[in-house]
Amino acid sequence: MSVGHSMPHSGVYARVRGETRFGWDQQGYGDLHLACVRAELAPAHIKSIDPAPALALPGVVRVFTAADVPGEHNLGIIAVSRDQEFLARDTVRQRGQAVALVAAETRAQALAGARAVRVELDKLPGVFTPAEALASGAPLVHPDHADGNLLRENKIKRGEVDAALAASAVTVEAVYSTSPLEHAALEPEGGRAWWQGGKLVVQACTQNPHYDQADLARFLNVPQEKIRVIQAETGGGFGGKLDLSVQPFLALAAWHLVRSVCMRFTREESFLATAKRHPLRMHYISGADEQGRLTALKARILGDTGAFASYGLAVCMRAAVHATGPYHVPNLDVACRMAYTNNGFYGAMRGFGCPQVALAHEGQMDALAAKLGLDPLEMRKINALQAGMRTCTGQKLTAGVGLMQCLERIEPIYRAWREEAPAQDGLSGVGLGAMFYGIGNTGVSNPSTAQMEWGPDNTVTLFTGAADIGQGSDTVLKQIAAGRLGIEAEQIKLCRGDTARTTNAGATSASRQTYISGNAALAAADNLVMNLVEGAREMLGERHLEIELREGMLRASDGRAVEPGEVARHMADQGGAARGEGAFDPNFSPLDPETGQGRPYAAYAYAAQCAKVAVDPASGMTRVKEVAAAHDVGRAINPRAVLGQICGGVVMGVGMALMEEHRPGREGNLQQYHIPTAADAPAITPLIVEDPEPTGPFGAKGVGEPALIPTAPAVAAAVSQAVGKPLRHLPLSLERVMEALSSRGESHED
Amino acid sequence: MPLKFTVNGSPVSLEDVPGEATLLEVLRERLDLLGVKEGCGVGECGACTVLLDGQAVNSCLIAAWQAQDREVTTVEGLAHGRELHPMQQAFAETGAVQCGFCTPGMILSSLDLVSQEPDPGESEIRRALSGNLCRCTGYHDIVRAVRRGAQRLRGEGSES
Repeated sequence: MSVGHSMPHSGVYARVRGETRFGWDQQGYGDLHLACVRAELAPAHIKSIDPAPALALPGVVRVFTAADVPGEHNLGIIAVSRDQEFLARDTVRQRGQAVALVAAETRAQALAGARAVRVELDKLPGVFTPAEALASGAPLVHPDHADGNLLRENKIKRGEVDAALAASAVTVEAVYSTSPLEHAALEPEGGRAWWQGGKLVVQACTQNPHYDQADLARFLNVPQEKIRVIQAETGGGFGGKLDLSVQPFLALAAWHLVRSVCMRFTREESFLATAKRHPLRMHYISGADEQGRLTALKARILGDTGAFASYGLAVCMRAAVHATGPYHVPNLDVACRMAYTNNGFYGAMRGFGCPQVALAHEGQMDALAAKLGLDPLEMRKINALQAGMRTCTGQKLTAGVGLMQCLERIEPIYRAWREEAPAQDGLSGVGLGAMFYGIGNTGVSNPSTAQMEWGPDNTVTLFTGAADIGQGSDTVLKQIAAGRLGIEAEQIKLCRGDTARTTNAGATSASRQTYISGNAALAAADNLVMNLVEGAREMLGERHLEIELREGMLRASDGRAVEPGEVARHMADQGGAARGEGAFDPNFSPLDPETGQGRPYAAYAYAAQCAKVAVDPASGMTRVKEVAAAHDVGRAINPRAVLGQICGGVVMGVGMALMEEHRPGREGNLQQYHIPTAADAPAITPLIVEDPEPTGPFGAKGVGEPALIPTAPAVAAAVSQAVGKPLRHLPLSLERVMEALSSRGESHED
Repeated sequence: MPLKFTVNGSPVSLEDVPGEATLLEVLRERLDLLGVKEGCGVGECGACTVLLDGQAVNSCLIAAWQAQDREVTTVEGLAHGRELHPMQQAFAETGAVQCGFCTPGMILSSLDLVSQEPDPGESEIRRALSGNLCRCTGYHDIVRAVRRGAQRLRGEGSES
């Protein structure tokens, strides 16, 4: 059986040979090349676009503008907030928004053409911070949006907060903030489009091929069947490839020119024009009683969602329902607001608002513990969610709550690090972070589907729309299906991410594919077995024979055994096929709009991490030396892949804590925006905790985003300890650390 | 200008290579060696790493003419038919590959390192790979893979 084994990632041998073809590698001979003309300033009114100078250049075939879009201009993942024009019509809302698209024979000619298009813009007054945006009389980013510049407010209300805070033994009030972050997946966006069999085919990097198909059909005003989207092998995503990137441009040009076209974003363009992580400002007032039990939380969270909604609604809601962290808090008054601005748009990034609020809820735990004279780990144990308790949305947790086990797993490491002698030549600190994370989309249906087929030649195929972007869903889904069929995972072929051959599995986001698509694969395997058994009964001529699939054979209670392939041949001869269909949608209930009460998720992942840092008092240079990370994943379908997710998440969290900060509206490249190198990365002790989730496939939940969430708070706590002052604004740049060092001993309140 | 060099052991002769063409462009566009990746175009990410006379370089920063009469190795030149190079094998077995976009460059930088230091320690590996960015793995399993690959190249058995 394959569940629980660390089989290598599906496709790994092609990857080490360099044979894997990512988005840009799809490029074919004779393709036209595309390049965007991007607005230099925003907001602005488009006065005129003159393509003539570009069309006069050698190789330039055509220049497209918004007037060439046959269908809907406004695209976006969340149906109620579609507002992103891929070619701006009258108004440019963010710097770098495309206003025209050039098609030419070579890439150099397309880029030259894009530079030559004459664009006249009239600058309009704009808003660049959420506070500005929400002030009365502020210029509106989307004048037709009902709530002015407020995209959404999400509220969570339980109990009596003010009374509970007044009665608390201690309270802490503090403001935390995080910066815009770039996903910086190693592969910049790229892909190709062409015509085949009367369909427009788009093959590009993506995290959600079936969404791409639906939005491209709207964009071109054609039935979905006319568009086929194939997920190219995708070189990392982290949420950055959930929104459309090159796809609308590819589709539009191929549609009009009836030729194959290809396109990629430069790294600078990727920085300028794709989504970023929402920066949040979080004002928290928390209370606890004398024993350290949390009494109340009042939180006001304000985020910048930039010029387009993208995943802003999801981030807003997720930040609100995770604002308490993984603790029982009886009285709550949380309000999270997202404001439109003319900054580059913010969207999904690994954790959807949870890595941001984790800085605040963990900072509050440390501050309350300090006031009470409690050990920070004790403080977390006292308040940790456990089976039988209710979350902040009133959802009663029944099983699979592994937070306490995570805390216990890191406790010996944490205690040992705390007792180590301080470094001779510098300052050192040890900090904690903990989290819970709802698996799948928040308070909405988010189903997945899958099919399986047992071929007459005994090949077994799993069909899934789930995009593998490097995290390993291909491998894990095969392992789950194989586990159910009692065969080796290597025996299963995969057909993945092609809208002509697979059905919708939803996005590779929200750490949902193992749990949701895994359950769909499990259901497809069950249905396949049922159909094989039926086929075998018919073939053997006994309608009521007991038959089971065991060790690769269909074994009947009368001692006979047949190969599934033989049954599949029999079924094929009858005009059928040995197939199975599966679907899964997590059990949820929507959140009440006023109180935020409901059952947003069917399952939660839990984690606790601790970090050890060293700070050079002369320069402020901070190094994360070690991180121990314990994650409750329910069941590790592929332990090596789980450990890989944990280590990758930790290092991304170190980047968020210490160095990453995107300046809105800047192109930038990896020279200006630093992500951790091998030399920056700490030594990591990843620890797997398995508290089985009763509704998960073989007990599994998810780990992709949880891996990142506790790291930045743990590092911030460790640096705070090292410098002797709480640090509440990320990243902890040299300047911020030096400033903290020079003001040590002053007030601890912001 | 004409360009003559050796690529993955075979002599290559090209006409009309523009003076401003990078080695990356020539390898990908003229020779179809798509295992050479472009991640940033400015020499920061290392995805375009190739070996030039055995030394790891960012092919996006090297003009194609600089490879005149020299030897270039890309990831495509490492395996012998079906048999993987020991470093490729180590990367595949160790969890060092997630999305795989950094992998070709990572493997070639590792080979440059072990050609100079056959038994590199953890900090040497981390230093040597600090010009090759990975956003997926956290480098943990890449470091393990390089140690395992180096050990195999020294002719020692693999540690468990």
